[in-house]
Amino acid sequence: MKQRPIKKNDLTAYMFIAPQLILFVVFFLVPAAMGVYAAFTKWDIFSPQMPQFVGFDNFREILFNSESTYYRFFRTGFTNTVIFVLISVPIGIVLPLLMAIAINNKPFGHKFFQSLFYMPTVLSISTVILIWYYMFNKNLGLINNFFHTKINWIGIQPYAWIAIVLVTVWWTIGTNMVIYLAALNGVSKDVLEAADVDGAGPVKKFFSIVIPSIRNQLAYTVVLTTVAQFNIYGQPLMLTSGGPNNSTNVLLMVIRDLAFPSFGGKSISGLASAMALMLGIVMIIIALLQYKFVGDEE
Amino acid sequence: MKRKIGLGKTLAFVFCLIFAVIWIAPLSQSLMTSLKSEKEIKMSGYSFLPQNPTIESYTDLFSTRSDSTPILKWFGNSLLTSTAFTILVLVISSTSAFAYARLDFKGKNALFGILMATMVFPSVINLIPLYKICAAFNMINTKWALILPGASGAFNIFLIRQFMLGIPKELDEAARIDGASWFQIYWRIMLPLCAPVLTVVGMFAFTGSWNDFLWPTLVISNVDKMTITPGMQILKGTYDVYPSHAMAGGIISVIPTFVLFLFAQKYFIKGMQLQSAVKG
Repeated sequence: MKQRPIKKNDLTAYMFIAPQLILFVVFFLVPAAMGVYAAFTKWDIFSPQMPQFVGFDNFREILFNSESTYYRFFRTGFTNTVIFVLISVPIGIVLPLLMAIAINNKPFGHKFFQSLFYMPTVLSISTVILIWYYMFNKNLGLINNFFHTKINWIGIQPYAWIAIVLVTVWWTIGTNMVIYLAALNGVSKDVLEAADVDGAGPVKKFFSIVIPSIRNQLAYTVVLTTVAQFNIYGQPLMLTSGGPNNSTNVLLMVIRDLAFPSFGGKSISGLASAMALMLGIVMIIIALLQYKFVGDEE
Repeated sequence: MKRKIGLGKTLAFVFCLIFAVIWIAPLSQSLMTSLKSEKEIKMSGYSFLPQNPTIESYTDLFSTRSDSTPILKWFGNSLLTSTAFTILVLVISSTSAFAYARLDFKGKNALFGILMATMVFPSVINLIPLYKICAAFNMINTKWALILPGASGAFNIFLIRQFMLGIPKELDEAARIDGASWFQIYWRIMLPLCAPVLTVVGMFAFTGSWNDFLWPTLVISNVDKMTITPGMQILKGTYDVYPSHAMAGGIISVIPTFVLFLFAQKYFIKGMQLQSAVKG
């Protein structure tokens, strides 16, 4: 890199980037660095005391000390989060893909269907839960009344997970659907017609032409969806409160409870930061996998 | 051949119709429940349609009686916060994108590289320290804590810069010769031409801010200062006793983003597709 002195023009440019850069440093870079450092400290964010460096103690505590309560919290939270990811991601890929294919067939009202399926993504999680909580109501909810069942949706497994996944799918899959719609638009009509001439059926065409042509978007949405679902928080918090028996108590709820205890308890921010860092590293790894997959096939 | 296509369309239609029913059901049930009186819900058990439709849940929520769930106040707070946030995002992202697209300065590539690299950084890691920083600036329980921290998102800069790179350089070179300053070029030439991408960024900024849930519950504990999205959690607490009111509150809370979606859905969809094209 060649060095050159700062010129007058540079100052103009710095004026243009300064507002964003200042906010970026203060509210992103500094807390990001602090967040990584805090994982190696004992820290109560509500006390004026500085974080106290403890090396890898927090990680030893949450990963290996099976006697510790925090070990159990982390394990439960992480396992539940992974369970949710494993159930919701495949549905969050396949269902919107099917919807996109159906809409791409241009049936009657396809514009309306597209808007309708996309619409929940503009709602907030708390409103979505408020609305769905009533759907799942044992006596007054539409679901039990429609199917003539008396299921305690949010209080018993596996119904609690089914409810959480159903709500998540309803809320989020519009995003992937519109991405697939754009991708399907780019699938070559010529190649499809050539396949018709060769007598290829719809299933064969789907797997040997359509899927390969949209593989970049598929890789992108798999990563995007997985990372997004690792962030699960609002659905179990408001729908099941982490129950029954902590079976839907996800990691972000654990982290929040430790760092920001609700009844004025002591904030255990160092340990919570270690858990957050673990979760963050998992997400970064998944995000980086995308580049590998996409890169390999180009 | 013709018949096969017809069959495909019919299958597609049936498939879409089934899901359309599932998609509409929760919203329509909320709307119907909000139009019942609390008495009707308790007395007559389940029915989809209200027997005696009434808007008393809405008028109740708007009246000053609901001190524990001041919906109108939350709505106002949200409107103010999200609008301020959107304006801030548009201003700082577009000025910065302009510099990265058009100006030459020391450290440009390094800075832009850092900005782009941070896009994969998960926000869960800086959540806890961010609270501490906001507390240090005395922003807890103020709107600043909801407006400033999220505004510097790098992806917005990337999108706007990409768009600006597509605008012919001859335009600003001609303006330079006529003696225009860089600020005039930014304000008079670039911003108007960037209207489409600014609309996309602005809409995502507004909806994102309106729908933000976890962060506001950390930094706003004062009920009167709360925004409507965390407010819905409090409202849900009253649901067992007042389901109709809770549903009315839910309906009210979706109005701004829903209306935005109705009028500008092509921008939302463009925005999503733009992101996937860029990152995919």
